[in-house]
Amino acid sequence: MTGAAHPARGLADLLTGVFWRRPKLLTALLLLPPLLWLGVVYVGSLIALLVQSFYSIDQFTGLVVPEFTLKTYGELLIPSNFDVILRTVAMAAAVTIASVVVAFPVAFYAARHARGRWKAIFYLGIMLPLWSSYLVKVYAWKLILAKEGIVTWAAEGIGAGNLLNAVLAIPVIGGNSLSTSYIGTFLVFLYVWLPYMILPMQASLERVPTSMLEASADLGAGSWRTFRSVILPLALPGVIAGSIFTFSLTLGDYIIPQIVGSSRFFIGQAVYSLQGTAGNIPLAAAFAVVPIAIMLVYLAVARKLGAFDAL
Amino acid sequence: MIAAVEFQSVSRHFGAVKAVDQVDLTIAEGSFFAMLGPSGSGKTTCLRLISGFEMPSEGSVRIFGEDMGTVPPNRRHVNTVFQDYALFPHMTVRDNVAYGLMVKGQDRRAREGKAEEMLSLVKLDGFGDRKPSQLSGGQRQRVALARALVNEPRVLLLDEPLGALDLKLREAMQDELKSLQQRLGITFVFVTHDQGEALSMADRVAVFSEGRIAQLGTPEDIYQRPATRFVADFVGSSNVLPPEVTAAVGGPRAWASLRPEAIRVVPQGRLRGTVTGARYLGAGTRIEVTAGALPRTPEYFGHTENGIAVLVPAGHQVPEIGSEVALDWDAGALHVMEGEA
Repeated sequence: MTGAAHPARGLADLLTGVFWRRPKLLTALLLLPPLLWLGVVYVGSLIALLVQSFYSIDQFTGLVVPEFTLKTYGELLIPSNFDVILRTVAMAAAVTIASVVVAFPVAFYAARHARGRWKAIFYLGIMLPLWSSYLVKVYAWKLILAKEGIVTWAAEGIGAGNLLNAVLAIPVIGGNSLSTSYIGTFLVFLYVWLPYMILPMQASLERVPTSMLEASADLGAGSWRTFRSVILPLALPGVIAGSIFTFSLTLGDYIIPQIVGSSRFFIGQAVYSLQGTAGNIPLAAAFAVVPIAIMLVYLAVARKLGAFDAL
Repeated sequence: MIAAVEFQSVSRHFGAVKAVDQVDLTIAEGSFFAMLGPSGSGKTTCLRLISGFEMPSEGSVRIFGEDMGTVPPNRRHVNTVFQDYALFPHMTVRDNVAYGLMVKGQDRRAREGKAEEMLSLVKLDGFGDRKPSQLSGGQRQRVALARALVNEPRVLLLDEPLGALDLKLREAMQDELKSLQQRLGITFVFVTHDQGEALSMADRVAVFSEGRIAQLGTPEDIYQRPATRFVADFVGSSNVLPPEVTAAVGGPRAWASLRPEAIRVVPQGRLRGTVTGARYLGAGTRIEVTAGALPRTPEYFGHTENGIAVLVPAGHQVPEIGSEVALDWDAGALHVMEGEA
């Protein structure tokens, strides 16, 4: 009798039964590989990095002294090193703020107005640059921004050559040409990371119900007030998510400033050269900890300011 | 007296679709006005024409005599309670309610005082510090109501305000809305697809069908004297009799409606037939009687042919299915519908 009601089936059926009775077992099995990957490979190497940063290097032998010390972190405060940190953080902040400003209208249009084919074109337009090699794009920008490049040519063509020269004459951020100035580095960073700002922003704007905007207007608010009091706070988690990308990606990148810009170091380049040619692994590790620490502080502040309240 | 809201042959077209088609409408100040109709009948579009979220394709909308033309929603002295409440999730209940006052530039102390007053009006004292996500559906509804009323609108618009609430709460809120309206004296315009809600709360009801007003009148008019087959069927699902049947049961040769509850099961009557179905409703039992001469029953019985629906009140003997019965009604119960040619 029972055999008819519960016919015996194969191994798959047996497993299904086991998982059905013990749902946590299935969850554990599914989570094990990614947890191993994240735990051992990622967190493990992070801890190794952290440990290394508390070692120091023997000035005479050039060997790593595996003893706990804060000396290496102290070296970060030497003006030449601290300048690298300041330069990188300032660039990351500038790139992030500019990304927010540039991305918002695009994301807003895509989330609230684009329909059907235009939406598809939007996604294609945002994603397409991500499909081509990063190096190709950066080198393309180097050519575009070069003294003999199209920007200079176009500026002279429309009679704005003097304006371009005036911009390049600005101390610190200016330079010989766009491709050898901080402005050039900034423009390339902005271009390369912009999709990472637009996409989360668009996702969060899309989740704001139309009725909420209507409610704001119904209660007497004009569009600026609605933007400030309703749209922006509700889109903030997306803005924060996007800014985490643009900020941290800029903090860690060492290729763009090497190809486009003045030859002064950013954190990524410092890490690269310290662990390579200089062989100063502890200082490289200490440098690498800086972006992580900055991001942690950034997230804590964002959380404190209520950026995640609408999540 | 100037009407609170007036539609002068207003149309709203979306491409080829006439969502609202040549509607004329007058809503008196201080009344509780219901726009009743199935989805897609144009009632919500009419509400949005008043709030300003839609502009008429033709005709004009006047609010207290003033042509609204292209006046944007934020410049109209009307406020809306949205169907999904549309409370701002990142603000506290108090800030939600005070939003309209903040927009007007009132200082924090004044607006928060008024917000608290409004919250106590809707019986939510002490809820000011909560976030909307910490409230139940009924409480959110009250917050939405307080948020609209704090602006002292001259017309309050309610878009299916009770749609998301369960039955018990809905009935309680119906009473509350009604008494609130009477106390404040504000014109309430509310949209609903629930005929019970419209009949129990409103002073006047406009029944919408396909972008037009099928009938406008008091709840009694609408229920007792439906103008068209659509109104008779939609409001309380009446028996709709075609002209030949009306004539056969002793009326004039015209479309007529006959309410199921107006029909009695009697030993001798105007009509004889066989009981072919029964549905227990609690307050009574709705039976279907089939007789050769009869039209289809309303949707209620799934459009069986030749049937008539009869409500047998609780306490009365319900005839068994298959048995033969006689039916009778007062001569006045048979209502001829002028709206049907």
